[in-house]
Amino acid sequence: MNNSNITLTLPAERLFARVARQTASSVADLVIGDDRHEPAGRDFSHAFELAVSEAFTNSVTHARESATPQVVKLTFFFEQRQLVVSVHDANDPFTIETPVPDIESYPENGFGLLIIRKVMDHVTYRREGNYNIISMSKTL
Amino acid sequence: MTITETSKIGIAILSLYGTLDALSAPELRNNRSIIDPEKTVVIDLQQVDFIDSSGIGAIVSASRQKRQPSGGIVLACMNDRVRKVFEITNAQKLFHIFDDTTAAVDFASSRQSASA
Repeated sequence: MNNSNITLTLPAERLFARVARQTASSVADLVIGDDRHEPAGRDFSHAFELAVSEAFTNSVTHARESATPQVVKLTFFFEQRQLVVSVHDANDPFTIETPVPDIESYPENGFGLLIIRKVMDHVTYRREGNYNIISMSKTL
Repeated sequence: MTITETSKIGIAILSLYGTLDALSAPELRNNRSIIDPEKTVVIDLQQVDFIDSSGIGAIVSASRQKRQPSGGIVLACMNDRVRKVFEITNAQKLFHIFDDTTAAVDFASSRQSASA
């Protein structure tokens, strides 16, 4: 899928995190090809799937109450052995530089961005107009 | 996700099947054995095919429900995908983790006897 974009727009509801995740897994498997059955291929796919699940769930968790249904848009792109996904939402601005939760205090939340930063090679956040865009990439 | 509950020498064993994410985490959080502060529970994770931060949060939350957070939930049979997420979040530090449910139940039983 070199230089091809795949765009998916989903309702900002928890149920659809699984659609986002399974799509991420399928896209990762597509670019991995025959290596998807090898440990490194499986790790790549799992990392990508996990990061997309976290980003989507984060968008849903912070979705604003609104008269019009909120959506989350995902765009997948593969170029020069790098798989990139951008997650767009219309929520309030946030930062990806959140502190690591203190595990000794038995935290129940706050792991999502930590997981994204750990499993992906490169993560950026930007605000465009009323939209948050978190972009995450991983190199094969 | 499906939760199958069995009991062995007075220890509840919850075997989880499927996906433990934001959608299914409430099912674990609201399980009767989980919300009973006196009950020591073994959670068998072998058949969990996907866990994310919400799933980790639900298991940490389960631990907080217990009178003794460090021993009230015992984990067993983590597969590689589950283990990886526990390691990333460092949550494995909060739990006693065993490769099989028998060892987990024996440990849980000894902890429960000691605290009785």
